[in-house]
Amino acid sequence: MSITTYTMPLGPVHVALEEPVYFNLTVEGENIKNVELTSGHVHRGMERLAMQRNLVKNVTLTERVCSLCSNSHSFTYCNVVENALNLEIPERAKYLRVMAEEIKRIASHLFNTAIQAHIAGFKSLFMHVMEVREIMQDVKETVYGNRMNLATNCIGGVKSDVDDELIEYILKQLDVIEPQLEELRDIFENNHIMLTRTKGLGLLPPEDAEALGVCGPVARGSGLRRDVRFDSPYAAYPNLEFDMIVEDGCCVHSRTMVRIRELFESMKLIRQCCERMPHGPVRAPMVQIPVTEAFAHTEAPRGEVAYYIRTNGSDTPARLKWRVPSYMNWKALGVMMRGCQIAEVALVLNSIDPCVSCTER
Amino acid sequence: MQEIIKGHTQLIDNLTPLCANEDDIRHSADRYGNSYHWFRLASPNKIKDAAKFLKAFRARLIMISAYENKDADLLMKELCYHFEVEGVIYNFTVVQNAEWPIVPSITPDFANADWHEREIMELYKVKVTDHPNPKRLFLDETLDAGQLSTAIPLSVMMNGASSKDLWERILSSKEQQA
Repeated sequence: MSITTYTMPLGPVHVALEEPVYFNLTVEGENIKNVELTSGHVHRGMERLAMQRNLVKNVTLTERVCSLCSNSHSFTYCNVVENALNLEIPERAKYLRVMAEEIKRIASHLFNTAIQAHIAGFKSLFMHVMEVREIMQDVKETVYGNRMNLATNCIGGVKSDVDDELIEYILKQLDVIEPQLEELRDIFENNHIMLTRTKGLGLLPPEDAEALGVCGPVARGSGLRRDVRFDSPYAAYPNLEFDMIVEDGCCVHSRTMVRIRELFESMKLIRQCCERMPHGPVRAPMVQIPVTEAFAHTEAPRGEVAYYIRTNGSDTPARLKWRVPSYMNWKALGVMMRGCQIAEVALVLNSIDPCVSCTER
Repeated sequence: MQEIIKGHTQLIDNLTPLCANEDDIRHSADRYGNSYHWFRLASPNKIKDAAKFLKAFRARLIMISAYENKDADLLMKELCYHFEVEGVIYNFTVVQNAEWPIVPSITPDFANADWHEREIMELYKVKVTDHPNPKRLFLDETLDAGQLSTAIPLSVMMNGASSKDLWERILSSKEQQA
């Protein structure tokens, strides 16, 4: 180690970090040579809790694993239970689940891009993106009664229907938000300040992305065609038309553009759900619980969420395990940050849309 | 309607001999037509062979789930490895017990197994050999592995005076030690 090389601790409490995580950065001058990461500050033992609650209560618990991906957790959890029970859910419920998921995806992607503008020091853009996001927050509150945890999924379908009046409201709000999203796309795509700060920064070559098994916009921003909605279609996704967004810049900017362009795909999906959703029941009745094991995965805003369940015939799972997208993406920071400057750490970190609470459970 | 189960025939043929019996292999599909293959491997070291075959087919490791069998007579743990190849899920269960107390690391073949293996070592006290970086993921190095499962939750402790739960735990750990 030369005299200009030193180890710099960052976190667990730091102004650039939204949640507690501890980085040990090996720095040479201003340049980062190596990154080591330690977590464990917000481990809540949620998997253990899940094994003390019945299958129905766990819908509420899993929705609290993460805030921005909350719906994806209850969605995937319900999927894995339904796989274990071999339970077919009504057609309308499949569309309603996709609709809730895509509404959450828009709000989640906008939150991440807003934070990026904030870290880049573009305060007016940060405020503007948050203002646009508020339209989706209003949709969530009006349709589901909550701004964060929608509490719509249940085993066998969804808890409540969305009537014609609410569907009309959702479509109207999409018409309001669309031109504003187009404006944001233009800013993130062409604005000199944003491009200077993000283009070519935090490189993750496709071969590293593949080896590290990254997922979500992090994988698609490095040119990997990886999206559970396409690879293992579920709910109403096989009946809907949308594109997989892939960028090959491998940098912070690419990951941002994947999220921005995905906003429009989500709008396409919500509109199709509103138009094509068949009438009918929204819940299937519960069936007897067998002794079995099952697996399910879905595409959350941050990437793939996977659930594994083992049942023992009782109403309490013998084992419930889940893996969140951030869990796979953290290690990629070691590649992304190598060669970056200390001042760029927060921007690179934000580009994986990290969630510490999710990772630690 | 007949169920169509997707999967790579060559890969399944390669993986089948790693199981001791035909009953150790199960194939299923969900209501969306997604396929799942379940293999119960003959011994934990077979996961290394499975990993080699899977790597050749450009598989992606999704997750490793540890399961602790609470039956005191068995004292065994099970690990379930979940892989994906072209949208199809391949699950491999290995049993760790007194006869087979260790499981080899697959991190040399799948770099993203690193955190999963460190987690099961730390939280489930699973012995993983040849892991390139067997450092703690969550808890401090000074705490014993499997510490969280030995601790008594605060709620149980507080209800100790009025319920039998705390005393039953003490009694059962005493019996196990004897």
